[in-house]
Amino acid sequence: MERTEFKTHISEQLNRNLEDLFNLVLEMGGLVERQLENAVKALSNGDVEMAKEVLVIDRLINKEEVEIDRLCASVLARQQPTASDLRLIIMAIRIAVDLERMGDEVTKTAKLVVKLSDKGVACPDLPGYAELLEISNTANAMLKQVLNAFARLDLSEVIQILDEEERMDQLLKVAIAKVVDGFHVAQINPECLLEMVYALKASERVTDHAANIAESVVYLVEGRDIRNIDPQKLTEFLNNLK
Amino acid sequence: MSEQNISVALDRDIRGLSLADEKVAIEVKDWNLYYGSKQALKSINMVVPENRVTAFIGPSGCGKSTLLRCFNRMNDLIDIVNVEGCMTLHGDDMYAKEMNVASLRRRVGMVFQKPNPFPKSIYENVAYGLRLQGINDKAVLDETVEWALKGAGLWDEVKDRLNENALGMSGGQQQRLCIARAIAIKPEVLLLDEPTSALDPISTLAIEELIFELKKEFTILIVTHNMQQAARVSDYTAFMYMGELIEYTDTDTLFTNPQMKRTEDYITGRYG
Repeated sequence: MERTEFKTHISEQLNRNLEDLFNLVLEMGGLVERQLENAVKALSNGDVEMAKEVLVIDRLINKEEVEIDRLCASVLARQQPTASDLRLIIMAIRIAVDLERMGDEVTKTAKLVVKLSDKGVACPDLPGYAELLEISNTANAMLKQVLNAFARLDLSEVIQILDEEERMDQLLKVAIAKVVDGFHVAQINPECLLEMVYALKASERVTDHAANIAESVVYLVEGRDIRNIDPQKLTEFLNNLK
Repeated sequence: MSEQNISVALDRDIRGLSLADEKVAIEVKDWNLYYGSKQALKSINMVVPENRVTAFIGPSGCGKSTLLRCFNRMNDLIDIVNVEGCMTLHGDDMYAKEMNVASLRRRVGMVFQKPNPFPKSIYENVAYGLRLQGINDKAVLDETVEWALKGAGLWDEVKDRLNENALGMSGGQQQRLCIARAIAIKPEVLLLDEPTSALDPISTLAIEELIFELKKEFTILIVTHNMQQAARVSDYTAFMYMGELIEYTDTDTLFTNPQMKRTEDYITGRYG
């Protein structure tokens, strides 16, 4: 399926609406990308201002979701989309929900930076820091990949995205174990450790949402729902796409 | 991202269309219409916005075509019709004694359900209204015929056979020819009474697309039995029931969140 196919309806209005929808979703995704980049910078440098900007961008992301919902409702009610057009509308709504939740999760890393700064604790001194940085960076890379997949209707990186999501699940377990060990160290403030746990879990959730978006793009392009599918069958299906 | 950019983005208006923001083309006040003793339109009040498509929907006999015909005084042709109230076109009282009906109809063109080209050439069909106005200058006629046929999305299909009889065209082409004939005299308003009900789905989509383009130059009112068509082509939609205007608002709102239960029942197919 080519993106240009969405511009070939007799109705120019439908062409415009679907193109607007692609652009709105990509714009919203771009905001979450920026949020993730800022969160990583804030984390690495203990930059509180950067962390606060993450919180402001979250409001923009929420607003984009409202715009996407409004446009989708309008196209559904007024233009009766079918087939790939209908799948695009349904998936745009789902992707917008995932992106909005990603935005919320990223704010938890930003809040960690703000709280640690308030307590005068350096983030890199906490157990789990290296893993948090890696999960956040991976989440950002995954988000870029899924947005590219959506923009180009290209499923070539879906397997890699889903594999990365599983790797992040494992990394989270390692990180949580390290933080739990930290509770036995008297010099570390347990409140800071709790914040670290929240941020770790939230960052891993971001990768879950990126994987959800990858599944949505597969449905959009192939019309196949790959959620909850047997892992072996899924691998076969995705390999056959290549 | 600067604070200013963020606040601009947050303030960005995501409201849809609103009648309150529109320029008014037609205003209808306390409009009643009687066929003999039977009242067909009851106290209609509405404004029709300029350069927008306004659709009228409702069950058969609800009065939508009757109301549409009031906008160019087609009902004058029916002896038993009596009207009350006020209707203005860009501020001019359409029913004033001094209003010349022929000149009103030059300002308010109409296209009917069934394509009704004259048994003349394609060119003469479009030029007809201009000739009636006494315009016979060939250069002016040529220019206007081409403009109108282009406006009706028909030029490329017929430019090499302008002298052929219009009755040899397909139904969809004939209807677009009727639209070209109507816009050739450059009316302010275009009334479309079920313009696609006699056409196939592809010709229908072509006309709908044309309507969307034409609103840039004309104010368009359309009556349609096809609710989905109203949803696709119009900016504002009026739902009528038993001679009353039940709900009239922007099409997005009417089809996603109607305020009146009767509208909701009708557009969701619960109307009994």
